[in-house]
Amino acid sequence: MIQTENLCKRYGRHLAVRDLNLFVRRGTVFGLVGENGAGKTTTLSVLATLTTPTSGRAYVNGFEVMGNPAGVRRSIGYMPDSFGVYDDISCQEYLQFYAECYRVPRAVAEARCQEYLDWVGLADQRDTYVNHLSRGMQQRLEIARCLMHDPPVLILDEPTSGLDPRSRIEVRQVLKRLRELGKTLIISSHILHELSEVADEIGMMRRGELIAVASVEVLRSHTSAYRRLHLAGDADFARWSAVLREDPRVMDVHPAAGGVEVLYAGTVLQQADLLARLVRAGIAVTQFVEQPTDIEALFLRLTEEGLA
Amino acid sequence: MIRNPLLLKEFRQRMRTARAPIVVFGYVCGMALFTFFLLYENVQGQLTLLLPQRSEQVFLTLSLVQMTVAGFLTPAFAAGSISGERERRTLAVLLTTPLSPFGILAGKILSSTALLVLLLVVTLPLYSLVFLFGGAVPGEVVAVFAFQLFTILVIAALSVCWSTLVLRSGWSTVLSYATVAWMLVFTGVMGYGLQLVAQRYPLDQFLAGWGSFLLSLNPLWVLALLEAAVTGPPHAWAWFCLVYGGLCVILMTASVWRLRPQVLRFLPLRPEADERDYQ
Repeated sequence: MIQTENLCKRYGRHLAVRDLNLFVRRGTVFGLVGENGAGKTTTLSVLATLTTPTSGRAYVNGFEVMGNPAGVRRSIGYMPDSFGVYDDISCQEYLQFYAECYRVPRAVAEARCQEYLDWVGLADQRDTYVNHLSRGMQQRLEIARCLMHDPPVLILDEPTSGLDPRSRIEVRQVLKRLRELGKTLIISSHILHELSEVADEIGMMRRGELIAVASVEVLRSHTSAYRRLHLAGDADFARWSAVLREDPRVMDVHPAAGGVEVLYAGTVLQQADLLARLVRAGIAVTQFVEQPTDIEALFLRLTEEGLA
Repeated sequence: MIRNPLLLKEFRQRMRTARAPIVVFGYVCGMALFTFFLLYENVQGQLTLLLPQRSEQVFLTLSLVQMTVAGFLTPAFAAGSISGERERRTLAVLLTTPLSPFGILAGKILSSTALLVLLLVVTLPLYSLVFLFGGAVPGEVVAVFAFQLFTILVIAALSVCWSTLVLRSGWSTVLSYATVAWMLVFTGVMGYGLQLVAQRYPLDQFLAGWGSFLLSLNPLWVLALLEAAVTGPPHAWAWFCLVYGGLCVILMTASVWRLRPQVLRFLPLRPEADERDYQ
């Protein structure tokens, strides 16, 4: 449904996207994660026909972005990372305007307008001016706008950026519901944890390159299998490491404040064995705390090991 | 063109605020006061002193004032149209719709001239007052109205093009007003000056030719020519339409490329658009 082949985009001397090879299957949700300047927005801009690639090819719904940009535009609903709205038009007029841009018949547009405003929880804001809505409401309205011409592909660039926690949850719920519609989605975000809630597959970009792709299912199974422990005590790192690595469930040990941090692949009961082993080795353990698993570190670790 | 969704949306947005009726009311009141003042000056309080020639002057003065006001008002409506979309961050979404770049530009040009056309139409009854006193024929009024309409469209098109080609509304406004100043002031002053010089040196046909050419680019002079108030080449208005029409075509092509660089990808040696900054 979405494919890129050695896609490159250069802005002057800066190579924003480098040899990107991406494949997103029909009806799946693909999350693109990476820090600022990683090339996520440029990639999505190329897919949305807003930016011309320097080299390589990109296909959306079977249309090549340079060869048939009109076909691509009819196939996508695009939501940019920072967007604005028009003043002095109501939510209904806003949605109908975009429906008219896609030549959606008026009766169909009116029905969809009702349906999608209800769907994103803005049915009661139908006649409110768009510029009077909160940012979170505008984000949800934008998602409804993307759906007005019933495109098979949605390209959403940072759909939850700049929102308060409550609005983030509301938008995330809408994104989860988009899966039910059977659309193919490509979503970018800074936050892997957030993407893992809605995506089927996640790709990580760094300095214009796609450095890793992993299935969220695999990631989840490993997240539940691995535990991150913070241990503090009177030993030095070499001693901590020597004793801990005797346990085959210890995957990784590295220094942390006052002790070490351990990636542990055992159950809660097996942690007791680990603690007993440390005590038997004469280490005075003053702290033994399980911490929430850092999904990003785990993602990188798994993709480096080739497990995903 | 009437199915252009952008045009309909802009009409809706521009006409629903209180600004539109206030501008129309203020303009009509101003023009009515000015017309009655001119008519009063014409009759000087004695209806038996009506002179058709002076009535024609009233018509000419009214047309020239209207042209000047409309000329300077047009950039205020058109100069921020595309750059405003960019600054408001609505342009990227608009460009991912199937609307053609020409459709976007045409929608912006027509919507920004809508209020000005309305201003011209609502002053037609004032022109009809001039008819009461003779001196102007309906054909002249039609020619003047059509020419004013064309000039407003040209200024709006150039302003929208500047708005597309430069990144900021401020710069676009400066360039648009510079264009209007060129059209209404510079061509008139330079053209008239060159013709005066040519009168002193009758052999210098080159200066006279340039003076005449510059004057044919001045809408006020062409308007006066249409009313036979000044003398000049009979088809000066054709030069005016040709030069400014050509300029509009060139700038529109550049604007289309600016909006969607892919559209002109078949052209060799086309410059690279700085897309990162644009959307």
